[in-house]
Amino acid sequence: MVVRQYQQELEYLEKISSYCWRIKKGFQPNMRVEGVFYVNQTLEKLMLDELRNACRPGMVGGFLPGVKQIANVAALPGIVGKSVGLPDVHSGYGFAIGNMAAFDVNDPESIVSPGGVGFDINCGVRLLRTNLYESDVLPVKEQLAQSLFDHIPVGVGSKGIIPMNARDLEEALEMGMDWSLREGYIWAEDKEHCEEYGRMLNADPAKVSMRAKKRGLPQVIFFSKKSFYCPFLFHGIKVYIYELDEIYDKWAACKMGIEEKGQICVMIHSGSRGFGHQVATDALVQMEKAMKRDNIETNDRQLACARISSVEGQDYLKSMAAAANFAWVNRSSMTFLSRQAFAKQFNMAPDDLDMHVIYDVSHNIAKVEEHLVDGKPKTLLVHRKGSTRAFPPHHPLIPVDYQLTGQPVLIGGTMGTCSYVLTGTEQGMFETFGSTCHGAGRALSRAKSRRNIDYTDVLQKLEYMGISIRVASPKLVMEEAPESYKNVTDVVNTCHAAGISKKCIKLRPIAVIKG
Amino acid sequence: MSKRILSALNYPQAESLNLNDEATFRRIIAWLEINIIKQAPNVIANNLKNITARDWDEIYNRYKDSLGCPPVGSKLEELQWILGYAAQIETNDNRSLYLKHAVENMKSKNVPDVVAENPLDKLNFRSNEFVDGVNELAKILNTVPHPDPLITLRAVRKVIVKRMAPDCVEHAEKYIVKGTPFPFEEHALGFDLKDPVLNRAAKIMRMIYIQDLRELQTRANELIVAVQNITANPKTDTKLGKVGY
Repeated sequence: MVVRQYQQELEYLEKISSYCWRIKKGFQPNMRVEGVFYVNQTLEKLMLDELRNACRPGMVGGFLPGVKQIANVAALPGIVGKSVGLPDVHSGYGFAIGNMAAFDVNDPESIVSPGGVGFDINCGVRLLRTNLYESDVLPVKEQLAQSLFDHIPVGVGSKGIIPMNARDLEEALEMGMDWSLREGYIWAEDKEHCEEYGRMLNADPAKVSMRAKKRGLPQVIFFSKKSFYCPFLFHGIKVYIYELDEIYDKWAACKMGIEEKGQICVMIHSGSRGFGHQVATDALVQMEKAMKRDNIETNDRQLACARISSVEGQDYLKSMAAAANFAWVNRSSMTFLSRQAFAKQFNMAPDDLDMHVIYDVSHNIAKVEEHLVDGKPKTLLVHRKGSTRAFPPHHPLIPVDYQLTGQPVLIGGTMGTCSYVLTGTEQGMFETFGSTCHGAGRALSRAKSRRNIDYTDVLQKLEYMGISIRVASPKLVMEEAPESYKNVTDVVNTCHAAGISKKCIKLRPIAVIKG
Repeated sequence: MSKRILSALNYPQAESLNLNDEATFRRIIAWLEINIIKQAPNVIANNLKNITARDWDEIYNRYKDSLGCPPVGSKLEELQWILGYAAQIETNDNRSLYLKHAVENMKSKNVPDVVAENPLDKLNFRSNEFVDGVNELAKILNTVPHPDPLITLRAVRKVIVKRMAPDCVEHAEKYIVKGTPFPFEEHALGFDLKDPVLNRAAKIMRMIYIQDLRELQTRANELIVAVQNITANPKTDTKLGKVGY
């Protein structure tokens, strides 16, 4: 790889608008398309500092800055359009987190890469509304937080209270949210407000290794008599109670059933955890072999991939779909448990509390979609890693209730900061294949957070802000401290100003349950 | 999925089959034709039964084409299609049995089904009398008449069905759509026809389409709920819950 000075590197970057930079070909070897990333002034500084640090002497061969990773993705076979970095981009395994890239399904060279999906497959966010207001919840906030914490066992080694055996797991992997519906854990209306209707149809549990299934069973919501060890916990479960802080787009909010400031919402953030991690790990091993066989070359060993049409590529897509279904069942079960906790606390049926799902988005997933490329319709495999789908109004794949407003995009903040709901736009469809940011995006690594932040400080600060908190371990408080993340408001404002999605509402946390 | 359909069709030991095994595949196809589909001439059915024959594949290909199986890539997907076809035949054969248990019928089992002769069949739709009558009706109902009286009649029928049925008149509040009005005129259409009148018309079409879609989704939801009434049994066991190790 070429080693260049920071100033020389900058020659390959061009600011094309106040919120958008272009990465020219040649920034990394073999780039087939250009790269692009969206930042405002603050985020721009973070992004360029990261690059400058990596350019210091002696840093060669160390970790890759996000902007280099975006360029490496632009060198993958079959990529179309451009490799896009969203405002919350930060370096990850192979692909940066906050990177989206689309590959032409009809190009035999095109690849699928587990690094482009991430390890926590279909990690995502679901937002429930209620008809409660701040005044109803404040007096019982602590009890409610405790009740949610008791209902939704969080953290490593925890066991759920929904009984599930191996056969149930097989069915859930195949059916996704349809399993939860069949068993009666969720409402019929939940399905329509969910990306892909909560079920990837190409899921094939037979393609998932026994090891992944074993790691799936005991997790979080599930219980099994034999206890399996689950060592990985990448993106733990988070349940937030929010109050509505600000409305930017009255009509869109109204379509989501959100009317007034102070209205209470519940956000559930989780993925496929150890299960998805095993699926990705298994696929990476297979793909390294496939790369040798098919002579696929990449700039980074972490960008292991296989042709979409190859056996390895298809097997990965089928097992990834099964992991995605697993994640939806996970979020559905937590929806069920949250509704129960609220119902118990307020002594009312969840129906009467109007606890409907506003929407459910996926952050880490690869999906086959139709897009216009240079004015021509094309079938693409769109990788979104730490990036949310954001389809515009009237798109056939979004629920009927949001046909006029565009798809709701749920952006989870950190423990102490706000969260946002955005909507998809035409411009986003055109510029970023209908994708936008997914959250705050890490500024400090988990390890660095643990070294630099004292958890008692964080807890005190949260208490001062009036946020109740229940966590499975103090380590998590440090890792997830607001200081570890980029400012979510910067991220969201960049997306709004760049036009790739539109601000709709802002939510302020009043209670956090984390595992 | 395939195994579930097979077991629903009472195929012996459906659960433990290996569908990738060629011999099993052949046996299933032959079994389906002889026991359920029953459409091939005897010669072909007998040839299918002979699963060790060398030209089995050729006969199978002809057979599946004769059923109208679309080209789908793999044999397993073909099997899936043929199974779907067989399940359809099986369901149709036992239609009356299933209908008895259909959700709608469980509610209104006791209502006798009377098919009356339709007096409209004998009308002359082109006579002036008919045209005038329909236009008069449209005027009363505030409906804009179309040059073709039959289209006007359809519009009139819609208004009557939606708003004039006895239940609608008695419980009007149930049928008047509630909700917050949405300023659709301010919202982007997604494309531009370069003509304000056309754009407005397109917007109205979109609204009607969205309404239809909503109705369809609601009916899908009702169906899911009806099925849930039979299948759902959510269980929780708080004794199982455990936080941490």
